[in-house]
Amino acid sequence: MSQNVVVIGGGPAGIEASRRLRDLGYTPILIEKTPVLGGHLARWDRLFPEGIEARTVLDPMVADLDGIKYFTETEVSSINRLKDTWVVKLSNGLSAQVRAILLTTGFDLFKAEKKEEYGYGIYERVITNADLEDWFKSGAAPQFDAVNVIGFVHCVGSRDEKAGNRQCSKVCCVTAVKQACEIKEKFPDATVYCFYMDLRMFGRKYEDLYLKAQKDYGIRFVRGRVSEVSEDNDGHLFVKAEDTLFGKPLKIKMDLLVLMAGMAPAADNHQLARMVNIQTGEDGFYLPQSIIGSPCTSSREGIFFAGAATGPKTLPETLSEAASAALAIDRYLKTPQKK
Amino acid sequence: MRERILAAYDPFVLPFVFGMTFVLAYCLIALVKVLLQLNAADRRKFALSLITPTTIVKNIRDIFCDCLLHVKLWKRNPVLGYMHSSIAFGWFMIIVIGHIETILYIPERLHRLYYPIFYRYFMEEQNTTLQGSFFFFLMDFFLLIILSGITIAIIKRFRSRIVGMRRTTKLTLTDRIGLYSLWAIFPLRWIAEGFTAGVAGGSFMTVPINWILHNFMSKPENITVAWWLYSIALGTFMTVLPFTRYMHIPSEILLVPMRNAGLPVRHTRKGFALTMLYSCPSCGVCIDACPMGVQKKNVKDATVYMVRNLKRRNQKRSLEIAEKCLMCGKCAALCQVQMDACGLRLAYRTAQEKKTNQIPADFSYLAAVEPIAPAVEPVALDDEKVLYYAGCMSSLTPVISRSVQKVLQSAGVRYELMDKDGSICCGRPLMLAGRQEEAQQLIAQNRKLIEASGARILLVSCAICYRIFKEHYALSGVQVWHYTEYFSRLIREGKLQLRNSHQTLVYHDPCDLGRGCGIYDAPRAALRTVGQLVPALKERKESICCGGSVGSLTLRYEDREPITRNAIDNLTANNPEAIVTACPLCLKTFGRFAPVPVFDFAQVLADNLE
Repeated sequence: MSQNVVVIGGGPAGIEASRRLRDLGYTPILIEKTPVLGGHLARWDRLFPEGIEARTVLDPMVADLDGIKYFTETEVSSINRLKDTWVVKLSNGLSAQVRAILLTTGFDLFKAEKKEEYGYGIYERVITNADLEDWFKSGAAPQFDAVNVIGFVHCVGSRDEKAGNRQCSKVCCVTAVKQACEIKEKFPDATVYCFYMDLRMFGRKYEDLYLKAQKDYGIRFVRGRVSEVSEDNDGHLFVKAEDTLFGKPLKIKMDLLVLMAGMAPAADNHQLARMVNIQTGEDGFYLPQSIIGSPCTSSREGIFFAGAATGPKTLPETLSEAASAALAIDRYLKTPQKK
Repeated sequence: MRERILAAYDPFVLPFVFGMTFVLAYCLIALVKVLLQLNAADRRKFALSLITPTTIVKNIRDIFCDCLLHVKLWKRNPVLGYMHSSIAFGWFMIIVIGHIETILYIPERLHRLYYPIFYRYFMEEQNTTLQGSFFFFLMDFFLLIILSGITIAIIKRFRSRIVGMRRTTKLTLTDRIGLYSLWAIFPLRWIAEGFTAGVAGGSFMTVPINWILHNFMSKPENITVAWWLYSIALGTFMTVLPFTRYMHIPSEILLVPMRNAGLPVRHTRKGFALTMLYSCPSCGVCIDACPMGVQKKNVKDATVYMVRNLKRRNQKRSLEIAEKCLMCGKCAALCQVQMDACGLRLAYRTAQEKKTNQIPADFSYLAAVEPIAPAVEPVALDDEKVLYYAGCMSSLTPVISRSVQKVLQSAGVRYELMDKDGSICCGRPLMLAGRQEEAQQLIAQNRKLIEASGARILLVSCAICYRIFKEHYALSGVQVWHYTEYFSRLIREGKLQLRNSHQTLVYHDPCDLGRGCGIYDAPRAALRTVGQLVPALKERKESICCGGSVGSLTLRYEDREPITRNAIDNLTANNPEAIVTACPLCLKTFGRFAPVPVFDFAQVLADNLE
């Protein structure tokens, strides 16, 4: 009989790690609290930098779950240490005794309402990057009279001490560039602005996308943060910002404003960390043993991490970390138990 | 009454005479120094107040109530109130009765400074006579009162929690000498008078101790030793007094009239400020009051320690404390001597700005604001037309300005937006940062805009703006209203139809609105019409700062979070369904960590309009 491994979190990291563990001869028990597998990826329409559809990545993964026991709409009720094993009790009444647990709890999208000055949840024409993906994916555009001027606000809840999120969310810069191009395709006559602090185009082909956005799509990049947003009687937005390259304040009337909500630590992190007695960092993400040398192992025996649970990551990074977490677990389980 | 020692002198009085002369001389010189440090206008103002009958009455009443009876402390903590007033008032009465006795029975000795103090030693009387038993009884009665106060003081020093103080001040060495000599004075007096009770009469305190320790006390050679010890304790206390916290005793007598004259704090340690510094009794009420105290590392940033550092001219620490403070004013509100803690810090910041700020502010943009503000086209506003100034903070929390407008529209109030197309900051953040001149420029420009608009009512939805409009704008012909007051007026007048949602609400008093402007009841009255108000553990004057204050220049976000969480715990003690506040900054700050929804005052009203 093959050994069980509990994987908590059914996003790309959890699915990928489960598949790898199965290939290594284990029986992963994948637990997902929402009704569908796929995490944030299931909600996304297209992926940077090439604009391939998210489902072309996710669908084959979800179609290949033979040999994996997975439970959706299930949460972890308790985890207890019993000798050298962990006893995991689930909300559906089942429990499992395993030697290794993999935490792939991912991230929460930063709640853009917290940056009230941008008016999310107050003004109709202010939406988030995730709302925009919903729109792209469903094709159901919100009913606005005309969309002529569109703005993207970078770093909403990223690198923002006041909002309680000091870290860079890594993916929003290039996501904003991708989404700006996409919306320009939908509204070719619209003027599209991106308000940024600085653009972190660190990945392969990101810089190309950025150049294309300027040259081919005519996206206007403004270096400076948006200070506040107000609304006129017709529901149009007035966006105040500063162009720090020109040293001038700006005030632009807009029809749509997209907030690039960043990655915040998952709300459940603290609770899970308490259950298995591990630490979360000051930023709320889990602390691996070493960020460079052993990013998948925790300070506790038999507890492993993969994906954005240990900090913002791109999708390819998450997937490769899932694979290495599977290998780390394999090595741990094959090491003879100490007496 | 009969003089027992005909020489009317004994060498044991010398320590007392020395101490007393020293402290009187010291105080006199200090008084002259303080008066010279006042600027001419303040000096005139002060002199004038001293001959104004109403102020004279107020001065006498305040000195009596604050310095002797400690009425404020009684209200806050009866045990501490009793402790302080028993020592202060009891001691005062013993001195007064000593003098009365001298005046009545041996007026020719009155010029001897020590005579009324050591009256029992020099005079003798039977306790069977009326005058004897009367005065003996009074003296012993007040001695008993003082001794009971001293007992509480000793308990407090070792177990402050028993008398309701979580933390108490860490004393300096001289403070300790002063403290121990003060503790020693009255038991020694009791013993000394116990000795003379056998020969010169006594009452219910002194006679029994004479009986109990008869063998010891009946020996005449011990008598002067006891009086020597009593005099030494007095002399030591008086001599160290100027260098201890007990300097507050003489200082307060000057502080009360200076405060009643309305003098401002213009400097960190000159004139009025100096009197204030020396009036600090180091009681430590400000330590528990300070919201930063939730973290142990910030305990030493309380006002009492700033005063101590200012007195010692420790510039580095003083600056640190002055800049870190949230300026919530709770320590000042609870302070027994009404220390202007924020004023002192502000004076420090202003002085520091003058010293270090090399970058002149560029306010050329102010002129550009003018054309789009209401100034260019003064609307003919009648009395009921309102000019609404949302301010920067309300613009950053659009739900507030939206809700305010919704409520105004529902009440049928005609209003004009002052900062629809951009506005000028009210100036308070600059002022709090010590940049007084720059703040004045903003104030001047805003005043011009407001007065030119012809509005009669200026409505403000930000507690921070409201305070500066009230205190520093001096708008002619324009009433400044905070929206909590204005809306409760609309409710009273029946212009606003609201329904009661029966939601349980807790109201947070924003620092600048509550302690700053004294508005506590208007928001509560209005909230009672739309929901069910539950109390917070500490509220009104004792409300805890949200931690988001623009007042602090250096406090980091990770150090603000525990303050916010503590304030939230205080608010949610009675499990309200929502927190309501009337300041955009509190709204934002609480919103980050609160377990229940946080609403603005206007939002709650707007959501419950009929």
